[in-house]
Amino acid sequence: MVEVTSTATVARPLAVAKARVEPVADTNTAWARLVFSYLAWATAWLLFGTLVGEYLGIKFVIPDIDHIPWLSFGRLRPVHTNTVFWGWSSLAMVGMALYVVPKTSRRKLFSFKLAYVSLALINLSVFVGDLLLMGGINNGGQEYREYIWPVQAVFAVGVILTAYNLIRTIADRDVEEIYISNWYIMGGLLWTIALLVIAYIPWYQQNGISETVIQGFYMHMGVGMWFTPIVLGLTYYTLPRLLNKPIYSYSLGVLAFWTQMVFYSMIGAHHFIFAPIPWWLQTVAIIFSVGMVVTLAAGTGNFLLTMRGSERAIGRSYSVPFILAGTLAYFLFSFQGTLEAFRSFQALWHFTNYTVAHSHLTMYGFVAFLIWGSVYGLVPRMTGHEPSAVWVGIHFWFALIGYLLYCGALMIGGSIQGLNWIAGSPFIHSVTDMVPYWLWRAIGGTLMFLSHLVFAYNVWLMRPRGGASIWATAAQNGAA
Amino acid sequence: MTLDFGKNHWLLFGVSFFGFIALAYVVGIGPAIWVQNHSQPLPGSVAPTHIETEGLKVYISEGCGYCHTQQVRPLEMDAIWGRPSAPGDYAFVQPASAWQPYAPAVLGSERTGPDLSNVGARQASEVWQYMHLYNPRSVVQGSIMPAFPWLFDVKAVAAEGESVVPLPASHAPTGGVVVPNARGRALVAYLLARRQVPIEGYGGAR
Repeated sequence: MVEVTSTATVARPLAVAKARVEPVADTNTAWARLVFSYLAWATAWLLFGTLVGEYLGIKFVIPDIDHIPWLSFGRLRPVHTNTVFWGWSSLAMVGMALYVVPKTSRRKLFSFKLAYVSLALINLSVFVGDLLLMGGINNGGQEYREYIWPVQAVFAVGVILTAYNLIRTIADRDVEEIYISNWYIMGGLLWTIALLVIAYIPWYQQNGISETVIQGFYMHMGVGMWFTPIVLGLTYYTLPRLLNKPIYSYSLGVLAFWTQMVFYSMIGAHHFIFAPIPWWLQTVAIIFSVGMVVTLAAGTGNFLLTMRGSERAIGRSYSVPFILAGTLAYFLFSFQGTLEAFRSFQALWHFTNYTVAHSHLTMYGFVAFLIWGSVYGLVPRMTGHEPSAVWVGIHFWFALIGYLLYCGALMIGGSIQGLNWIAGSPFIHSVTDMVPYWLWRAIGGTLMFLSHLVFAYNVWLMRPRGGASIWATAAQNGAA
Repeated sequence: MTLDFGKNHWLLFGVSFFGFIALAYVVGIGPAIWVQNHSQPLPGSVAPTHIETEGLKVYISEGCGYCHTQQVRPLEMDAIWGRPSAPGDYAFVQPASAWQPYAPAVLGSERTGPDLSNVGARQASEVWQYMHLYNPRSVVQGSIMPAFPWLFDVKAVAAEGESVVPLPASHAPTGGVVVPNARGRALVAYLLARRQVPIEGYGGAR
């Protein structure tokens, strides 16, 4: 006779058991501390930047929530975007690159000191830049070029020092081949150095809409020649390592690299379709936006084919699901960008909140998710301390559901805005019709922000320290 | 010395770096130089006054361009904002200072609020502009634009020559009168000067 009560006491775990990190010590303490310093600062900027974003989202619903100039929408919006760009995403991915580049070059990082100087410079630029923005001092440009040039110059020096540090590391590598990750990481650093200099040189931006021509070029490359190549480079290392098999095709990675450089560079002007900038420039941008499908298919295909056959390993990992979600987002939402470049779709979606959805789908669904995949996949292997798998799961689902709600609401609402304008209804209708969608955006944004608190807790659990690391535990088990 | 990108790091990084700069010249620097050299004010347009230039600085400082465009597209749906924008509409824009050494054309990227290319013709009342800036909901129900009370002073009585902003009781401060300060006056002067110059065959100020 089976005891009835026994069924009630069967352990029902909240999540399926996730695989533990293999107990192989592969790094030194100073290195782990360096990478973790980048990650810790990045996380602090993520919390600050998305708290600001959350507050901005609330302002769409309650515009009179405060009347303080430093907190007004027009000043805080660039604080949000610049903080999550230069503070969170940049520091997090550069920090991970400081692990991946030496690892794949089989050599120590050229200079730890330089790396700390870069960290300090980038932090300084974001801190001072944000304060100035809140004080109403900006560059007069548009998106992502709001920090005035002395501030962005400090950031640029940080990037230049990082590039020098990593080039010296790669030049002195102990393998013949430059691993594909380092193509992308160095590409991102070098392109961004060129980009920052080109965007901030004033001589060809002195009158008329010359500044706008540079702005279209800059705002696009600022995303696609900085975040895109570096997070892809990190994934070219993290994914094969976590699945314990080589990347599906090295050649596809090389193809995607060169097409990224040639096609992506040409498409900045698609942010100014129908603007009074030269028409041929807009057409070139649209054509190469279509060309980007080659890059997308090569990059995404490579990752997905690497994952093929490893479904069980993905299910048992707490980090690979982030990479899977980020890879799918990369394909879907960059392809969305290609569609948006067409004049017919621009007529409907340009100037609407659809654009805001698109930037979050890419910078969050793609970039942030791939960063998280690398952080959860690699940091425990550096510090010897794992996060809690349940909390990582909560982070994953809150972030995923949150951004899909946020962006779903704005895509629907943005389309309604555009249709309102095409129908010729009074302008205020395109505002009042958005009210429910702005509410859903704020709800999705809240989930995203909560997931970042969980991420910060997990970062804390992974911090480098003595005590019961995975290696110490393994050694103990071995001795027992 | 090998010509294999995968093995020669100087070749790989050199080609990516200088190749990118070459492409940047084709679609960024080159067109910008061309546009700069061909920038001509429209016939019949007048250079902005000092106060209007100051107003553009306030416009930029407060981030108005995040929700307002100043570009009318050659599309039927944009016809309510005026004629399609021409490069010459922006010819008078000049760099603001040594810290902002670029001509801010403020075309904008979002239209959460209306396009402002021709707002001076569409909404020519100075009083309306002041009320709207002090609190947009005092004149437009359902607006989500931020209020800008820091562009105004609240005084017990208005000084000689100062114009008091009339406000409905629901949005007026509890005591005193509201008068625009220097930044507020500059911004409104700038907004009222947003009037498109007619181009033959294209329409213009209505």
